[in-house]
Amino acid sequence: MFLDVRDLNKRYGKEHVLRGVNFGVAAHETLSVLGPSGCGKTTLLKVIAGLEEADTGHVYLDGRDITQEDPQKRGIVYLYQEPLLFPHLNVFENIAFGLRLRKMERPVVRRRVEEMLDNLELSGHAGKMPHQLSGGQRQRVAFGRALIINPALLLLDEPFASLDVDIRATMQRFFKRIARTFHITSLFVTHDLKEALLMGDRMAGLRHGSLKTYPTKEAFIQDPETGVQREIAFWDGLIDGAPEAEIP
Amino acid sequence: MTGSGRTGAAAKRGGLRAAVAVVVGGACLFPFAYLLLLSVTEAWPFTARWPERVSLALWRRVLGGSSALGASFFLSCLVSVVVASVSTLAGYATGKYIAFHRRKRTLLLMAYVPFVMSPVVLGTCLMFLYLKAGLVGNVAGVVLAQIIFAYGFSIVFFSAFWNQDIKALEDLVYTLGGSTFDAYRRVLLPVSKGVLLICFFQTFLISWFQYGLTLLIGAGKVQTLPIKVYDYINEANVYYAAMASCLLVLPPAVLLWINKRFVFKPL
Repeated sequence: MFLDVRDLNKRYGKEHVLRGVNFGVAAHETLSVLGPSGCGKTTLLKVIAGLEEADTGHVYLDGRDITQEDPQKRGIVYLYQEPLLFPHLNVFENIAFGLRLRKMERPVVRRRVEEMLDNLELSGHAGKMPHQLSGGQRQRVAFGRALIINPALLLLDEPFASLDVDIRATMQRFFKRIARTFHITSLFVTHDLKEALLMGDRMAGLRHGSLKTYPTKEAFIQDPETGVQREIAFWDGLIDGAPEAEIP
Repeated sequence: MTGSGRTGAAAKRGGLRAAVAVVVGGACLFPFAYLLLLSVTEAWPFTARWPERVSLALWRRVLGGSSALGASFFLSCLVSVVVASVSTLAGYATGKYIAFHRRKRTLLLMAYVPFVMSPVVLGTCLMFLYLKAGLVGNVAGVVLAQIIFAYGFSIVFFSAFWNQDIKALEDLVYTLGGSTFDAYRRVLLPVSKGVLLICFFQTFLISWFQYGLTLLIGAGKVQTLPIKVYDYINEANVYYAAMASCLLVLPPAVLLWINKRFVFKPL
């Protein structure tokens, strides 16, 4: 596996947030992690990114043990629920940020940022400041800023949760497209069942700090714990005209 | 209502607004204008409506460097700039440490102690220690005592600034490959430029108008501008007191203009 997580444990005081988490993600694969709020999704991503330290366990990336490595050296970019653009930089400079850190030459930076803007369908917005963009545009800039440095792994922490339904659907299609174009390996956490099914090549469920991976989407759908069966029963109930369909 | 009637009512409202603005503006500016007038007065005997003699002699002496007021002004500037710079930068770093500490509430409560204490009480508490350390009656002691006071304010000020969003921006720089230096230079300092300026302004004012603490720790030997003002008032030297007060108002006015021009406007 490209990303290999072994026996991760993390406690905050008495609260056991991650309980022996084990899973792997193959190269160029997106693993969806479904879990309710407060189940440890964000902590899991932060530990993998190196922003939090696990109490025990190991994280391997492309065969390398990165458990003790600084986040700067991991090549893993974490995308937050909010786009978190740098408020003092315009769209161009936000996307160029990682390249500037690597001290790339100006013409190279310009060419690569313009290519990225083209890919993000944001060519006319290079000079705009973050507050002049819509929610979807801001999230696309955040993706561009992450992708331009070719990260080994992308961690997505409910990136579309703050968007309204239509923009969310557009962004989901956008992510699928760029995941193919840039051969992204990613971990996509969400509390939205439909989004988890749409975004992931494989699925996992996180409950009370314990992670369960599924070999196929079918296995995920069949497991009563994931809630897919309840959801199907709800919609079937509506179609059959049951007046008091159970809330999934 | 006819067109000319509406125009007349609008003109009346405009006139009233202008009158109110003149009254409010006049009330705000009157104390400063009065101080300025007193500072150029040589003789204004009781019952006279206006000064008998006015001259720029006091201003000339201060600006020419032959008055002790000029030295006090520069000493006050030095003390306040040092106090504001040190407490702003130290409060910025300490505020961050406290904001993300698991005992945040306790540490913040401790930071409040020097700030909520009266400066005179703080000075009295420090006196014994300062006497032992040979810091009473000199500028270094006054600067240190004022820093303790302003630093508490600065910590409280910045602990509200450091929140999860700012932390997330910092973490983002790290995952994009940046060092701690990069995080501060490229993101944290530019993002906090406004609050740093405001805190500098506030701590400068805390130090600039400090009287009790300076009097106690300075033991009357460190003659900052507020000490001079009170000395002149005690001597019933109204014109010198007015002159010193004018100098006392000048730097805060400049800082206020800088804040308005570079901090509040972009917000």
